[in-house]
Order: sequence, then C-alpha cells, then structure tokens
Amino acid sequence: MGYEESFPPMDMKWHANATKRFASPFVDNPHDRIDVDPIILSHAAVACGYTIRDFYEKPELGIHCVGYISQLYDLLPVTHWFYSMPWTRELGLKLQYKETLPPISTGPILSEPGDVDKLRVMDKEELKKNFTQQEFYRIYDYVAKNLPMTLVPISYGFDLVGAAAELVGVENFIMWTFTEPEAAKKLVKIYTDTSVNGAAALADKYGMAMLIVGSVLANNDIFSDDAVEEYSAKMMRYYVDQAFRKGAGPQVFYHLCGNHETDYKVFKDNLIWSPFTVFHIGYKGKNVFPSKLLKEEYGQKATLMGSVDTKLMINPNPVSVYNQAKEQLLGGRDAPKGYILGNSCECPPYTLPGQMLALVKAARDFGTYGSW
Amino acid sequence: MDIKASDQVKETVAKRGLKVDDVMDVIKTAEGGNKKAVDKNTGKILAKKVINNVTVYADYNVEKGILKSHANVNSAYSHRMTLGKIVNATEPSNWTCAHCNAPAFLGTAEMTYMGVSRNGPAVVCPKCGDVWVEEYLATKTLAAAEGLFEKKKA
Ligand SMILES: [Zn+2]
Repeated sequence: MGYEESFPPMDMKWHANATKRFASPFVDNPHDRIDVDPIILSHAAVACGYTIRDFYEKPELGIHCVGYISQLYDLLPVTHWFYSMPWTRELGLKLQYKETLPPISTGPILSEPGDVDKLRVMDKEELKKNFTQQEFYRIYDYVAKNLPMTLVPISYGFDLVGAAAELVGVENFIMWTFTEPEAAKKLVKIYTDTSVNGAAALADKYGMAMLIVGSVLANNDIFSDDAVEEYSAKMMRYYVDQAFRKGAGPQVFYHLCGNHETDYKVFKDNLIWSPFTVFHIGYKGKNVFPSKLLKEEYGQKATLMGSVDTKLMINPNPVSVYNQAKEQLLGGRDAPKGYILGNSCECPPYTLPGQMLALVKAARDFGTYGSW
Repeated sequence: MDIKASDQVKETVAKRGLKVDDVMDVIKTAEGGNKKAVDKNTGKILAKKVINNVTVYADYNVEKGILKSHANVNSAYSHRMTLGKIVNATEPSNWTCAHCNAPAFLGTAEMTYMGVSRNGPAVVCPKCGDVWVEEYLATKTLAAAEGLFEKKKA
C-alpha cells in the first residue's frame, strides 16, 4: 500500500481547467483568471494532518499532499517538493530532520579558506546514485505513476550562495566575502557546478528539467548591490547557461526571496531569459516588492510573480491578505508577458486556510481576464 | 565554392528533418552576403536562413584553396521560432559578426512562435542587430520550448 491510497482521486474537470489557466500567462491565452502560486511546501502536509517532518522525510507523501491541496485551494495543477539545501549532502554536509523545521545542517564542514580546495564537484553519474537526485527520482517516479497529470520534473539549484555558505557557516561565509573573496567565490562555484550536474542528471532521465534558482541569502540586508551581482546574479546566469548546455530547461523560475531593495536592478542584464521564465521578488526593504515596479522593471523580460507578504498568511485577519493581493494584482495583472500571484516566500507551514482562500478570492475578484 | 558534407553529417541533417540542399543554400547565401558569425578561435562559421518559416543553420568551416575555397559542413539544425530584435547583449563571446567585423555577444533576443513573443538566449551583434541561436539551444532548450508552446497554446 502506498500513500496514493490516502487521497481521493484528482478531479479531472478541475485539472483540465487549471491547466488552461496555468498556460495562459506563458502563451498569451487569457483563460478565466490570474493564477495563484503561494509556494506551498510543508503547509500541504500540515493541511492534510501530517507533520512538517513527514513532508521532508517522506517525499512521496509530501508531494501527494501538494497535489491534493493545490486542487482544493484551486492553485496550480502541478506538483513540486523540495527543501532549501539540495546537493549539500553530496558535498559533505550532514542534515537532520526536525519536527517543526525543514532539514537543517548539523554544522559547517569547512573552517579555513584552504579547505575549499578539498571539495570536489560531483559528476552527473555520481549524483544519480546520491541523496538529492535519488529523492528527486523517487518523487517524480511516484508522481508519474500516481499523479501523472501534475508531473513537471524540476531540478533545484535554489539558493546558490546560501547553500554554499552552509558549508562554512553563514556568518563565516559573509566574513569571507570581505576577507577571502576568492575562497568564497570558489565555494559558490563548486556548489553551482554540482547543481548543474544535478540538473543534467534529471534532464537525462525525463528529457527535460525545469530549473529553480534564487538569490535568497544574497540580498540587501546583508550584501551590497555589487556583491549580490558578483556572488549571486552572475552565478545564477552561469547555472542556467550551463544547465541549458546540458539539456535542461526551457522553464526557469527565478526566486529572489528576502530584501532586494536596490539590488533588484542587477539581475536584469545578468540573467538568462528564456520562454517560460518566471521572475519573482519577495521584498523591497521591509515591504513586499510592489508588483507595479516589478512590471515596469521586468515586465518585458519574463512572466512575473507578484508577492503577498508571507507573514499575513498566519495573521488572523484574512482581509489583510485580500487587500494586499488586490493591490499587487492591480499593479501587475497587465504585465506584458503575464503575471502570477504568489507569496513573498514559501507560505508558512501553519498558513490559515481562510488566508489562503482570501488570496485566491482576490485573484478571482481582481484577476479576471477581460475585466480590466 | 564547393560544399562538402560527410555521410555522418548527412545522416544528422536527415534525422533533423532538414534537406542537404537547404543547408547548401544557407551556406551559399551566407558566403554571398558575408552574413555569418565566425568563431574567432576555431574559424567555425554559423550561418542561417529562413526557409519555409523554419530557420535553418549551417555550422561549417571554410578551407581556402589556391583557386577555390571549400566549405566543410560540421552540422546543421533548425528552429521554428522566429527571431526578432535584440533585447540585451550580456557577455563577450568567441563569436564575431563577419558583416560588421565586430564582436558578437551572448545575450537575449525576442523569439516569436504561434503568435507569442517571449525572450530567449542568443548570440547577438548589437551593431547590425543580427541574431543567431547555437546548436545546443536550438536542438534542446528551444525545441522543448516549441513543444510546450504547441501543447499550451492548443
Ligand atoms: Zn553585425
């Protein structure tokens, strides 16, 4: 008996409609309304009565929860599952599961800049037999068997700087960017090259691999615009370029979580823009990044994803979600290459259903194509 | 100019649904108008021509003889997206635009398919606005994108 027996079957009528809605921003086919993607991870498990730990420790269960709850909330008709430190175990980090958190590192494995030379990029064939890739194969094989209509094989480079920093400790890494920039860059490059090989391994098996890569640790709370460009934007470009050369793509999701007050500008001429690219920014200072500004700056580059503050999703006041979603929709819904409504980052595990439904309601009320 | 293609190249051309004559046409047109990208390190040439709504590319080298030059075809490929104007030029590349005798860059260009315009990665010459798509992108990433457009636009 597998996890599939714990869930009612997919409503195929819903799925057919959601698939048309999902296609609309990418192919200029306005369907019913703007789509909503609140970046659900362990919230899906919690909403189905499982724990945060279950979501990460049992990937097949986790991804089925995402598929199931996405249908009930009327979100995207596709499934996904991941945690923020893919490929780090391959480089030597140990992760531990927690009841109320995603897997966390048991501690840095490198302390001196010279230690970086001991790290080795793992090649595609080695990765295929290792932790991260094995988990990805497991979830996509499970989805192919049990929820095939929701399958999109995704490879995560995710937070290239943040994940690399975990190997030496985040504070140490930030110090290195001032005192040992060559070692810091080399570390990010080794992590990135390993991630690229992971994308290639996934593309080998499924004939394609959507890429998700972000700039999370590298944001204006910590780094200058120049440092964000040098450590993050350029490496994101390198990641996508190399992954494309190895058969991944064409879909790319650029996720800029955290405060990108002024550094948002450095991504424009550094990133690779391809058809089926979504560009997302979380915050500008303490506030959500205004979708109107996002549209003005990036509307000609890619499909945009606007943000509603994740904090509002656990705030007992659904109208605050609704009002902010309305403001973002009004600012971004007519973006020339399409717009999707999202959260500023992963929706919190204990997101209130009333708040999630307020987000979707706002998309129905202010995101109906043809009504503006 | 004589144009030579090995049996192996001819096989690739056929497998990709292209005609050897069209590939020859691409090369003749490119050489005639000097419209091509040249890899400054290897001398490899990238030329393209739109034939029946498909952009056909020839990847070849030219050997200069005493009386006559010969073109050796290395590969050929195509894409159905229509290339539009340059969006940006990001990174220096090994490519030179022969027409402008100026460096070409890795960057972004508009690409249109089934009436939908989006951006895509390309080799671009900011001087004359010419745009080329390299083989790995045309045969993998953009081919997959064309498939997605067909599926999602349906
Ligand atoms: Zn030129």
